[in-house]
Amino acid sequence: MHVKQIKMIIDSDFKNVPLISTVINRLCALTPFSGVKAFQIELCVIESIHNAIKHAYGNEPDHAVEVNFALHPNRLTFEICDTGKTIDSKYLPKKGVPSFEFDPDDLDNLPEGGMGLSIINEIMDQVVYTTADGINKLTLTKFFNANATKR
Amino acid sequence: MLNVRIENDILIVQPNIERLDASVAVGFKEKMADLIKRGHSMIILNLSVVEFIDSSGLGSIVSSLKTIGRNGDLVLCGINRNIMSMFKLTRMDRVFRIFSSEGEAISLLSK
Repeated sequence: MHVKQIKMIIDSDFKNVPLISTVINRLCALTPFSGVKAFQIELCVIESIHNAIKHAYGNEPDHAVEVNFALHPNRLTFEICDTGKTIDSKYLPKKGVPSFEFDPDDLDNLPEGGMGLSIINEIMDQVVYTTADGINKLTLTKFFNANATKR
Repeated sequence: MLNVRIENDILIVQPNIERLDASVAVGFKEKMADLIKRGHSMIILNLSVVEFIDSSGLGSIVSSLKTIGRNGDLVLCGINRNIMSMFKLTRMDRVFRIFSSEGEAISLLSK
């Protein structure tokens, strides 16, 4: 099966992230995803990169965030890799477990942060986090067919 | 970052940036807090220039709503379809009053 791939590496500085946004937008044009779906995919990748910068690298510049995009016949995948601090698994939302279960009328307890991983979990069909040889890798998968096996 | 004006005692805030994301969220939050501290409690946030919001940007808007508290309101307008999908996904569309236009927001808040 022919898979098309591209690897991108940016320095861990927020100002570089919009460049990746532009690329993802164009890559989604090669897929059945457009409009809102393409935006949501872009959002997931950007959230992942921001997490790497903020949490893996503690907002320090001069570290590499690697984004690998693969276009498969039936899906697309993104791998967001860093060599910083590993995410504690307790912060990884579980698929199938509802997120955003706050009371919209309870002003004081509305969430202001920590929504990134839940957003990713809601949008992407598969979210896998691995750590090996000092590399943390978040793999996001979106199937072209919404009825494809998700987990 | 923000264009502000007052109409009918309502503060209208319009970010002039296309991305309200992690790189600007803290600054946005601080600027909004400053405006609210100056006594503005009825605010329309016009997002018509903004094309992309991430969770940090969304969090900064929520923070602004909490800073106003129950004695005022922060309503939104000018939200594009993409960003609206994010509000629905995070259920924040149940938290904020969202208007289709600034004019509609001004009209309803002025009553």
